[in-house]
Amino acid sequence: MAVLLSFEALRKEYFGVPALRDLTLDIRRGEVVGVIGENGAGKSTLMNMIGGVVAPTSGEMRWLGEPYHPRMPSDATARGVAFIHQELNLFTNLTIAENIFVDDFPARFGMIDRAAMRQRTAELLSQLALEVAPDTSVDSLAPGERQLVEIAKALHRDAELIIFDEPTTSLTPRETAKLFETIERLRADGKTILFISHILGDVKRLSDTVVVLRDGQLVAQEPAAGFDVPDMITAMIGRALGGLYPDRTAAPRDEIAFSAKALSQPGILEDVSFDIRAGEILGLFGLMGSGRSEMARIIFGLDPLEEGALTLKNQPLTGGVRDRIARGVAFVTEDRRAEGLLMDAPIAENLSLVSIEEFGRAPLALLDHARLDHRTEQLKTDMIIKAGDIKTQPARALSGGNQQKVVIGKWLMRHSDLFILDEPTRGVDVGAKFEIYALADRLAAAGSSVLFISSELEELMGMCDRIMVMNRGEVMGMFDRADFSERAILAMAFGKQAAGKEVAA
Amino acid sequence: MTDSGPLPATAEREEPALAPTVGQRAKRIFLSDYFVLYLSLAYFLVLMPFLPTLSNPANLANILSNMWPLLVVAIGQTFVLTIAGIDLSQGSVVGFTSVVGAMLLAATASPDVLSNAPIWGLIIDETGGPLAGVPGGIALAIAAMIAAGGLIGAANGLAIAHFRMPPFMVTLVTMIVISAFAIFLTQSENIRNLPEAYIQLGKGDIVSVYFGEQDESRIPRREIYSFITYPMIIAVTVAIIAHIALSRTVFGRQVFAIGTNRRAAEISGVPVKRVIVLVFTISAVCATIGALLYSTRLEAGRPTLGDGNFLLDVIGATVIGGTSLFGGKGKIIWTVFGVFFFVLLSNTLNLMNLSSFHIDMVKGAVIVAAALLDVLRTRLIRGGI
Amino acid sequence: MTGSARDRAMALVTNHGTLLLFVLIILVFGTQAPAFVGPENLGNIIKQASFIGIAAVGMVFVLLTAGIDLSVGSVMYLGPLIAGFAMRDFGVGVAGGLLVAVAAGAIMGGINAFLIVVLKVVPFIVTLSTLFFFRGFGAFLTSSRQFDFPEEIRAFGLSSVFGVPTPILFFAAVGVAAHIVLSRTAFGRQVYAVGNDEAAAAKAGIRVGRVKASVYVICSSLAALAGFILIAQIGRLDTGFGEGREFDVIAAAVLGGASLFGGIGTAFSAVIGATMIQAVKTGLVFTGTNLYLQPMLQGLIIFAAVFLDSVRAARLETLRRRFIRPR
Repeated sequence: MAVLLSFEALRKEYFGVPALRDLTLDIRRGEVVGVIGENGAGKSTLMNMIGGVVAPTSGEMRWLGEPYHPRMPSDATARGVAFIHQELNLFTNLTIAENIFVDDFPARFGMIDRAAMRQRTAELLSQLALEVAPDTSVDSLAPGERQLVEIAKALHRDAELIIFDEPTTSLTPRETAKLFETIERLRADGKTILFISHILGDVKRLSDTVVVLRDGQLVAQEPAAGFDVPDMITAMIGRALGGLYPDRTAAPRDEIAFSAKALSQPGILEDVSFDIRAGEILGLFGLMGSGRSEMARIIFGLDPLEEGALTLKNQPLTGGVRDRIARGVAFVTEDRRAEGLLMDAPIAENLSLVSIEEFGRAPLALLDHARLDHRTEQLKTDMIIKAGDIKTQPARALSGGNQQKVVIGKWLMRHSDLFILDEPTRGVDVGAKFEIYALADRLAAAGSSVLFISSELEELMGMCDRIMVMNRGEVMGMFDRADFSERAILAMAFGKQAAGKEVAA
Repeated sequence: MTDSGPLPATAEREEPALAPTVGQRAKRIFLSDYFVLYLSLAYFLVLMPFLPTLSNPANLANILSNMWPLLVVAIGQTFVLTIAGIDLSQGSVVGFTSVVGAMLLAATASPDVLSNAPIWGLIIDETGGPLAGVPGGIALAIAAMIAAGGLIGAANGLAIAHFRMPPFMVTLVTMIVISAFAIFLTQSENIRNLPEAYIQLGKGDIVSVYFGEQDESRIPRREIYSFITYPMIIAVTVAIIAHIALSRTVFGRQVFAIGTNRRAAEISGVPVKRVIVLVFTISAVCATIGALLYSTRLEAGRPTLGDGNFLLDVIGATVIGGTSLFGGKGKIIWTVFGVFFFVLLSNTLNLMNLSSFHIDMVKGAVIVAAALLDVLRTRLIRGGI
Repeated sequence: MTGSARDRAMALVTNHGTLLLFVLIILVFGTQAPAFVGPENLGNIIKQASFIGIAAVGMVFVLLTAGIDLSVGSVMYLGPLIAGFAMRDFGVGVAGGLLVAVAAGAIMGGINAFLIVVLKVVPFIVTLSTLFFFRGFGAFLTSSRQFDFPEEIRAFGLSSVFGVPTPILFFAAVGVAAHIVLSRTAFGRQVYAVGNDEAAAAKAGIRVGRVKASVYVICSSLAALAGFILIAQIGRLDTGFGEGREFDVIAAAVLGGASLFGGIGTAFSAVIGATMIQAVKTGLVFTGTNLYLQPMLQGLIIFAAVFLDSVRAARLETLRRRFIRPR
């Protein structure tokens, strides 16, 4: 196969610090190349160079043998590079067709030729087996459908190289399966794919070749067929990881700390009941749209609950967010940037946000800075948050894993009896994941109840005492640790009718 | 535990530990909290040789006396901008509350002027307002003004916090309605004949209190004394309280949190609605205190006191100081310097005998220049240098 | 959704709140003063609305990109003033004067655009300062005195074509042209895209700078045109002309349904908003309301519209929350 894109001793330094060190690599045409590495390994830098966002400090890129120096993203697009990012770049106030043609509308007499636009869009959508009308507003599409629109955009521009950057994070397993089919089809059509993901099983399944980056260097380039996940991890972190999950330090206690009785909310939940013991980690597994995050929001008092009762430590749990926090409920939301952090505020201010009122001295609520600084510094050390001066450095400057530690950390400044962790390891690299698991274990060992919500079944099986499965707002079943079975849990999560097909995929 | 890879962002931040060069020193000044103050002083020094009257004590006193009322109002705006809001209604609150105070306190009123006003006979007549000559009447009137202003601010805040209406539109409507109401109350007339003790709040200085007779104090007054005036004491007190509230209290932290990310603040248990209502109330109360200073200086309650370009002066001065329109970034001390610079600028332009339209043009240019500097500062900081 | 009658009524109110409010206003004033709904008066309302309306159409372009233009009031003053000088001192005719006004507006818009797009200063601040600057410049040109236009301008301003007053024709033409540009041209759709997500628009290859610059030029050009058309009816220009109008213009656009956060709004909405404000003004005169109370009532109506809009937004959000099981 011909080489589509090659890198020769490619190097990028930021203020003298190398982010990519003399990378030499060939990407062959028609191949699916998985790119893995921890956060900060140089993946983003490499992609930004391909995309014309940053220029290399030294070294050379070649496109079909010719020198390739994109100076801005549009140069890359013109050559045939398309990006499918985790945050999609679609305009929700425009239609699908308008989104596809947004940078070059077909025009007749200065007016948009809507018929031509609609027809071409319909063709593209049918290629991708997306059955919606071209005039549908993007607003009304599900995340998976939106991603297909992005791919349609790439196809419309005759992209040669399509780069998928963590494409599955916001997709349901069903949508993910469909995306993978689409990628297979693109490969069959001779497109070249770069597939970046933290979900190593997906990378192995999908890729022809897997490329591993570490500290800005290429450490492995192997055919996917013989490259197993543990080996990938070893390559990524530079040593064998003892175990992916920490050992649980204490067994759950007998007393029931939290219980939900017959929760019902029209259109969201139907008769949901469960208990969590003190010191227990209860996993909650379900597909996107199973009601897991919705239930978390209800327990935390963000969304209304029509029927049912919540009890924490034998007292009914009612009121708004502030009441729940006062009663000892902590909520690590799934959307770190939008709901978890004050990105531009210093780390210390993020850490102290939840418990700030405890640092006010009566009568005027003047802050006790000495105590506050002491506590936040202590927490930084305790949680191994890798940061400089937490009083000045903004949360934005941290890596994903450290950001997530800050989000969890702000709930550790006070005692909570129930921790709701919604996708706590999303977008976090392997090393930091382990630390987050260890934290969950510590919380449980200290007697708190933990509701661990995740779409990665594997981590739930690694960490939880029990796993509860939800589907369409109902509890489908509960598994004890001894009965954990990937197959059975998945089947239950998909509901009966779809189980066979999806699990096989 | 594993090392989760290098953190480029932290690495970039490490500066080589060399002795600061001239450029670095300049940068430090440029990025400091006091930059606008340095700029004002530099501007002052540069113009001094050309405008001999500039540094003359009477003029300095004049600059300061123009500064205090504007500062009080701008402090209120600083709170609002810090939560990523905006308060366009401050000017109308100034006009309205000046009328409230005056109609309660006026010693007498002339039927020729006010007999058509709806308040005539109801609140005010030839014998003055209901609190005229009442012991403690001034305090009561000020309390009434603050209550009126505070209610307007709270109403703004409630609409914004509870109905999620955009601050720009809510306060725009308040501006239209309240200034119309103030004009309606007096049918666009001023209310004069305010009690002397009330007027002292805006005009009096400490010295004239001690030395009594105005005739004496006017001539040989030693310059230094004329700087310490009631408006100054009031404004500085407001500034100190505001500074402490914004930078050293739980409330201040919550203000910044809301300005940075309202949703995250909500989920972290910040009482978002309460804080928003409070912030808009503070803004209106500051406008009311500004009204007190302006109206006593004018010796009248005037419904149009805060009309025209007043609001733009307030926002311009606040933004020149460095407070961001996008929230999460604001300091009282910045506003102090911004107001000082703005007032100094107006003053020097007046001394140059420029007409009001020239002054408008220069003001416009300066606001843009200040914003450009801010863009530059942000870039320098983001650039990590 | 299987909505009850109450649900459907609620949806009607929230989705077409502005129009319903409009109808309500007409009905209320019509019953109070039947002459209010006479064709002559309705024509007058539209004619008087054309001033704010034309500028509001321009404002919609800016609001769509999530920008704001506070300088329109000053542009309304300076644009026609420059045209006035061209007419008085260089013998330019009325048509030429109109073109000069629009061109002057375009240049002022260009200045705003330069500061916003090239120097990257936020629109609020830029247009706040050009608000001072343009008016100061105009006052400098006239030494703060009233400016009298050549007499022929009033003949134009008060003329009509087939019985339709010229201001209405301009208002209609601007509204229709803006509607076509916004809904049917590549530029128009890109304006919506930029307002929805500027960063994404840049990544998608849209020349964001050019789009943003264009909207400020359009907005100022239309503001100058609006000013000229009103001046043409009066024949003279006072120094305070247009002062504070920026708020009327923004209110009209928002009243019609444009969002201050970008991406939502139509040219039609500005036309409706401006006409509605004028209807209220006229209605209050008809019913003999105290002159000083009129702005209060206008303010309350704007409040009602903005309130309805936020209720609608909240409702949409609830509707959009994905239900995961049948209700």
